[in-house]
Amino acid sequence: MNKHFKTAISYIRRSPFQALSASFVLTLTFFAATLVSLLVYSSSKLLTYFETRPQVIAFLKSDAGDTDIASLQHKLESNDHIRDVKYVSKEEALSIYKKATSDNPLLGQLVSPSIFPSSLEFSVTDLSFAQGTIDEVKGESIVDSVGFTAALGGESSLNDVIGRLKTVTTYVRVGGIVFVGLLAITSLVVLLVITSMRVVGRREEIEILNLIGATKGFIRSPLMIEAFIYTLFGVVLGWAIAFIAVLYLAPSVVTYFGEIPILPKDALGLFGLFGIILGGEILGGSLLAVSGSLLAISRVKKARQ
Amino acid sequence: MSQEEVSQISFKEVTKTYGSLAALDNISFEIKKGEFVFITGPSGAGKTTILKLILGQVIPSKGIVKVDGLDIASLEEKNLPDYRQKIGTIFQDFKVLPERTVFENVSVALAVIGLPETEWEERVKHVLKLVGLTRQMNHFPSQLSGGELQRVSLARALSVNPKIILADEPTGNLDWETSDTLMELLEKINKEGKTVIMATHNMEIVKKYKKRVIHVEGATIVEK
Repeated sequence: MNKHFKTAISYIRRSPFQALSASFVLTLTFFAATLVSLLVYSSSKLLTYFETRPQVIAFLKSDAGDTDIASLQHKLESNDHIRDVKYVSKEEALSIYKKATSDNPLLGQLVSPSIFPSSLEFSVTDLSFAQGTIDEVKGESIVDSVGFTAALGGESSLNDVIGRLKTVTTYVRVGGIVFVGLLAITSLVVLLVITSMRVVGRREEIEILNLIGATKGFIRSPLMIEAFIYTLFGVVLGWAIAFIAVLYLAPSVVTYFGEIPILPKDALGLFGLFGIILGGEILGGSLLAVSGSLLAISRVKKARQ
Repeated sequence: MSQEEVSQISFKEVTKTYGSLAALDNISFEIKKGEFVFITGPSGAGKTTILKLILGQVIPSKGIVKVDGLDIASLEEKNLPDYRQKIGTIFQDFKVLPERTVFENVSVALAVIGLPETEWEERVKHVLKLVGLTRQMNHFPSQLSGGELQRVSLARALSVNPKIILADEPTGNLDWETSDTLMELLEKINKEGKTVIMATHNMEIVKKYKKRVIHVEGATIVEK
């Protein structure tokens, strides 16, 4: 075993309560960081889902001819703000209705295709274009009415829907980053305090090592390794607790959100996502450990007089 | 043989001040390789400052301190560890690591010079036998007497096979009998060819061992 690693382990064993407090704070930080990372991922997926699914349905008049419909479809497809244009005929509309009312077959038997309007469904590339596009489509002679499917919370106007989605996503992202940032600063301060206490407690040892010709690296390494051990412990434990919690809650969450893919559907995807989060946290944690310990050690640096 | 080759340590018109206080004022002397030199003088005379200058802990305010032809003041910080590894130091307050055993206290010096771990045991046991601490190898400093602690300090200094031994009041905290044992050890080491420079105000030891004396008083050398 590396001699510096052995020294770091002996430092930890000789002050177990300092080690425990540092590890606990770091575990909390990385537990929160894992959950916030997941929340950012999910909110991003939620927004993408609403942005990419057919949000606008232009219901066509019953007398609309095939040529007019094809012409409007072509016009929509050539619009840069519009994508995924799909024509839904009266028969297809009935089929969708029957599928939606499959738990009550009587409802499906009572209707004929003629009562369903054919429609053109499409998405906008950005939700901010939705209102303008709807107004434009409403003006078409073969369009009877226009509906918007991404309504959340019963907002009456489209701008409310867009605003609500964007606000929720921004809150999640900014709030999460601020929260994790605050925890990271707390962790940095804790690491700084503990490493400083180590340095102060070992001032005599550092002085002796200096006098017998120890290099800066020799003196610093055990302290940095110690900080790194706390951080790694915090990362792995915090991440593992969050991972177990998500695995436990995932079935209910996935069921609640239905077809919205807020979490990867397959196990491999979920493990991949958590792997990426773990990798990022190890990297961030290492930076935290190195900067915290270096900052603490730099305070006792003494130049020759 | 030139003067530089003969003298291992040379102080040339060295002055060292701490703020407005002069610890050493324009002192010059030379120490040859393999010499045993006592630096004597009352407390505050500048004995420790001389040792600190040799070790590179402080740099002269004026003048030149050379060790093996190397100007200590011109040594860069990054080269200091290499330089200090060639000097063994013993202190009045022992400066042993309290949380490490005798074996670990000595082996830390070997770790510092980068000796492979496989060679530590043999080297440590050898120096501990030399200073008579084989039985106390696994004891912690709190379990040792003052004389034993000073011998741990000496064993640590010897373990790296230094060219020069600096001893700052090594008998200051020891009784006469223990001091005598330590002095015999230092004399034995000196006979093996190592230069020993010992700062002390214990004149009985100085008289008994009849070595060269550099007497410092009032920041200047009054007798060489």
